[in-house]
Amino acid sequence: MSTLNDTSAVTAVQVAHLPVSTASTASTASTASTASTVSFRPARPSAEALAALRGHRWYERPRWRRLCALTAVGVLLAVMTGEQGSGADLLFSLRTTFTGTALWAWIAAAVALWAIAEFGAVPRRAVASGARAAAAPLARIRPALDSSPRLRVALVVAGLAAAVLLPLLFDRSTNQVLVDWVGIYVLLALGLNVVIGWAGLLDLGFVAFFAIGSYSTAFWSGQLPVKPPFELNPFLSIPVAMVTCLLAGILLGAPTLRLRGDYLAIVTLGFHEIIYLIAKNAESVTGGSLGVFGIPHFSVDLGPLQYRWGLDPLDYLWLLIGLITVLVLLFRKLVRSKIGRTWEAIREDEVAAAAHGVDTVKYKLMAFAIGASTSGVAGAVYASKVGFINPENFPLLYSVLVLAYVIFGGMGSIPGVLLGAALLAYLPHGLKDVVDQKDRFMYLGALLVVMMIYRPQGLLPARRRRRTVRTREAS
Amino acid sequence: MTLLEFRDYLVPGLALGALYSVIAIGYTLVYGVLKLINFAHSEVFMLGGFGALIVLTEVAPGHPSGLVSVLLVLLGLVVSGLVGAGTAFGLEKVAYRPLRKRNAPALIFLISAIGASFFLYNLAGKLFGRDPKAMPALFDNGVLFHVLGAPVDVVKLLLIVAALAMIVGLDLLVRRTKLGSAIRAVAQDPEAAGLMGVDIDRIVSRTFVIGGVLGGIAGFLFGLNSQVSFTMGFIPGITAFAAAVLGGIGNLRGAMLGGMLLGLVETYNVPLFGEEWRYVAAFAVLVLVLMFRPTGILGAKLGRTA
Amino acid sequence: MVSMCAALVVTGATALTGCNKDDGAARVGSDGKPIYKIGFQGPLTGESSAIGVNMENGVKLAVKQANARGDLAFHVEYAASDDAGSPDQSPAAAQKLIDDESVVGLVGPAFSGAAKASGRLYSEAGLVSVSHASNPGLPELGFRSFVRSVPNDNAQGGAMVTYFTRQLKTKKVYVVDDKSEYGVGLSKVAEKQLKEAGVEVVKAGVPAKTPDYTAAATAVKHSGADALIYNGLYSDAAPFAKKLKDVGFDKPKIASDGTYDKKFTELAGDAAEGWLLTCQCLDANVDPGTKQFAEDYKTEYKAPPGLYSAESYDATNLIIEQIKALGGGDGGDVRREAVLEKVKKADYKGLTRQFSFKENGEFAGNGIYLSEVKGGRITLKGNVDTLVSAG
Repeated sequence: MSTLNDTSAVTAVQVAHLPVSTASTASTASTASTASTVSFRPARPSAEALAALRGHRWYERPRWRRLCALTAVGVLLAVMTGEQGSGADLLFSLRTTFTGTALWAWIAAAVALWAIAEFGAVPRRAVASGARAAAAPLARIRPALDSSPRLRVALVVAGLAAAVLLPLLFDRSTNQVLVDWVGIYVLLALGLNVVIGWAGLLDLGFVAFFAIGSYSTAFWSGQLPVKPPFELNPFLSIPVAMVTCLLAGILLGAPTLRLRGDYLAIVTLGFHEIIYLIAKNAESVTGGSLGVFGIPHFSVDLGPLQYRWGLDPLDYLWLLIGLITVLVLLFRKLVRSKIGRTWEAIREDEVAAAAHGVDTVKYKLMAFAIGASTSGVAGAVYASKVGFINPENFPLLYSVLVLAYVIFGGMGSIPGVLLGAALLAYLPHGLKDVVDQKDRFMYLGALLVVMMIYRPQGLLPARRRRRTVRTREAS
Repeated sequence: MTLLEFRDYLVPGLALGALYSVIAIGYTLVYGVLKLINFAHSEVFMLGGFGALIVLTEVAPGHPSGLVSVLLVLLGLVVSGLVGAGTAFGLEKVAYRPLRKRNAPALIFLISAIGASFFLYNLAGKLFGRDPKAMPALFDNGVLFHVLGAPVDVVKLLLIVAALAMIVGLDLLVRRTKLGSAIRAVAQDPEAAGLMGVDIDRIVSRTFVIGGVLGGIAGFLFGLNSQVSFTMGFIPGITAFAAAVLGGIGNLRGAMLGGMLLGLVETYNVPLFGEEWRYVAAFAVLVLVLMFRPTGILGAKLGRTA
Repeated sequence: MVSMCAALVVTGATALTGCNKDDGAARVGSDGKPIYKIGFQGPLTGESSAIGVNMENGVKLAVKQANARGDLAFHVEYAASDDAGSPDQSPAAAQKLIDDESVVGLVGPAFSGAAKASGRLYSEAGLVSVSHASNPGLPELGFRSFVRSVPNDNAQGGAMVTYFTRQLKTKKVYVVDDKSEYGVGLSKVAEKQLKEAGVEVVKAGVPAKTPDYTAAATAVKHSGADALIYNGLYSDAAPFAKKLKDVGFDKPKIASDGTYDKKFTELAGDAAEGWLLTCQCLDANVDPGTKQFAEDYKTEYKAPPGLYSAESYDATNLIIEQIKALGGGDGGDVRREAVLEKVKKADYKGLTRQFSFKENGEFAGNGIYLSEVKGGRITLKGNVDTLVSAG
């Protein structure tokens, strides 16, 4: 290898010489080594040694590149945590950051970190082994859980108990967030997980169904400008919203589901935008930008059993926990049934599935409709809880966010999705008191990028996915 | 709609279409080589606008005219192109390359892109203030000449000419130069291209840079036509992405065609159905086209068909 | 089944949580003076954050100055809660302030949608919310703690129409809004009153953040209208004004208070020239009464005060004034209910106007001022009613 490109000049010019077939740097090197792993596995030289062989300059060596990267991260963090910009002076924030002392503190921290990582061989090894020792029980949890169903049940029961009881200790604002954001978005993420995690359909307009569910609840409670034939008990609006969303899902899905991947993504995104604009513009039907006020709280009125939900978020939180539990049980059954296996077949290779006689459109439509009706439930609960909705509750951005929640948690894995959605939906509110409120979404974005780089399979990946990612990484 | 009205909406429609085309090319180029929706391209566009805004605010005199105006516009183009290129380069390096090394599935790229987009626009809002900003006056925006009686003012002319120049330049670059054939090779079959001696990392990086130059310049032009703000990337970004899909994502000429078409549809929608239905019209056209041609008008030619 | 279970659990647990509202015992500072907090709820993030920050700065400045003056027997602190201007974040944002027992008064919610989504919560808590939300329907929703510190949109829409029909004698008016709750509400008022005055109306919605206003401007020109009303924010009015100039629409143009901001002239440049602006407010940057405020603001935030900065400053001082009147720090009862009652009965002279409220929280009295952009500056023409009767 080293003889073929011993001068860096070759590397520099080879881009311009397409047909030249001299083997070259990283990409071909990796291709070659992949080919060779089939028969035997040669001892891989260290990155340092490889760099030396290639004859890179000193600053191109990994060690110094790591220094540069860390320093850059330090500077970036200094910029991120600097002053808020001013309306009048464009460069105010940057200027104060680059003339201030905090910058140097950040850089010093970065360099110190680098020095410890590079030269502090002893502490580094100690830290590494310490971390490994600390993580060892954690690493054993998963196999233990996988092998013992009883343990799993115990864990789930404990989690459920915690979810039901812990909110009693929280203040109301936390519970407000737990309902409006965490509970609702966990429900949405569960639904989207069916569409994207199991059936493999990239849906960028999922929150549109949430909107449809909310507006359907508003309609049946008689608060929209168009009046329903008869008013429903607010609690009955949940199944009605489900059915409405189911139909909407089929209506959208039927013509578009033969599109693949990114084409489907943009069409669903367009669908969301259209629903949003109808909510906003069709004033005589939806109330337009002014929204709908006065959607009643849920109430149960069955002889001896009477209950009215009220302003206390706890009531709604428990209702949501109940709904989520039921859905999780249903979905677990579903994904282990024939339907679930068919989805898997379609997701992994649609052409092959179709060739084996699977009616792919039917199954994809089913996933779409199930996902949609789940968000219908979320819509009904939300509308009733807040009592007021307007189109600004359903911006395009939220469709994108739910997708991020699902992937963050681990596509296709119910515990992953629950955890991912709960954490990310709570994050902006949790950050309220930690960082400047205006910068919350900056940190959320950074977290997403870092997470995708270091743990692309998500927090708690599905068993199957864990395998796929591992094989992919090995190749 | 009278003929008179029809005429008056033509130039704005073309100008908007030209803008969308230029942004759409950024999406389609990256999609061509990586099969990935570069969701953060809208922030490249936004930062290009800010780059030009910052430099021009420092140097522009009160009411420039003549040669000074021309020079300032050129400066704006260069600065925004450089900032756009730099942003796209950094983006690829930080948010995409590590994923590519791990052979991550396409969805992971998408989320990483979304994260990067969130990060960048909120950072820009923090650094430069969350108010919209006007580009300093670079010239007096009067009507230059009439086409069939429809007035053409400086900004619209600049938009159309700059976009056309970039589109033609890019088309030549991709079809005639060695870099272009390398890009096409990577788009067609990255593995084979790698075996043939193409440094894939470098080509991907350069593709991002090219898309970034176009995106950044589009940000500057957008700012001239309207104003610059930290959230300005989102709507044009989504529309341009739709345009790229409409034309056939991965297909350069498709992106140009799609952009033009959406620009015209959105503009003519105003006298026909009213401004509030702008995006409904655009997406309705998109859905209709995709129902009959599932891979866009021209099909996904540059890359492998999906 | 599950819902039944949930209901049972709920009943049990509500008994557990029961009443966790305490009597609002105030926190006490190091020098023994009690600490009262003034909350602010508005958009600090997202699309409209620029306006939220304008308001927030006004509130913060008032709090800072109140403490610095040193004549109070208590400390005032500031508590922010971001709702991104959107109704969906509003309940959580409101609850955050409600849960903080030392918050006794609130400036905000800034936007009508957010006010509607959180009104029930504030009412339940009895926490007075002095809001700039101007949608006419708000006081009718039965929020007992809602107080409006600006005249509602009926007054403003009416003033625009009066000026157009009586002063300029227009025959056909093009009414544009930004499709926000605020703009649509105003447009409805204007449309209704114009029609009543027998003027032809063309109504259009141009959503905020439209990438290119040329088409919308061309439509205005082709409509043959002899005047234009724009109801929206300066950030959208500015590019619209530019395009109106480019297509050569030179008829009278009037815009609502969302456009009444110095930044409108900065952003639109020459295109802003001749625009008429209505506002229930006086510009803090030009009005002599607010000059000192504008200077202080500039020193503090390195930027001139923006839309509603001075009003938020006033609203904050109004609340502080009422706490003082209640005897805050001198053993007076400064619980939320007391503050609410006191604020509703207040008669306070602020920098921008006289504040007093009707029983349902509606701003009492009105004063719609008309200004014109001349030579790149917003110059006051005067009260609309006086202008019309004089002309």
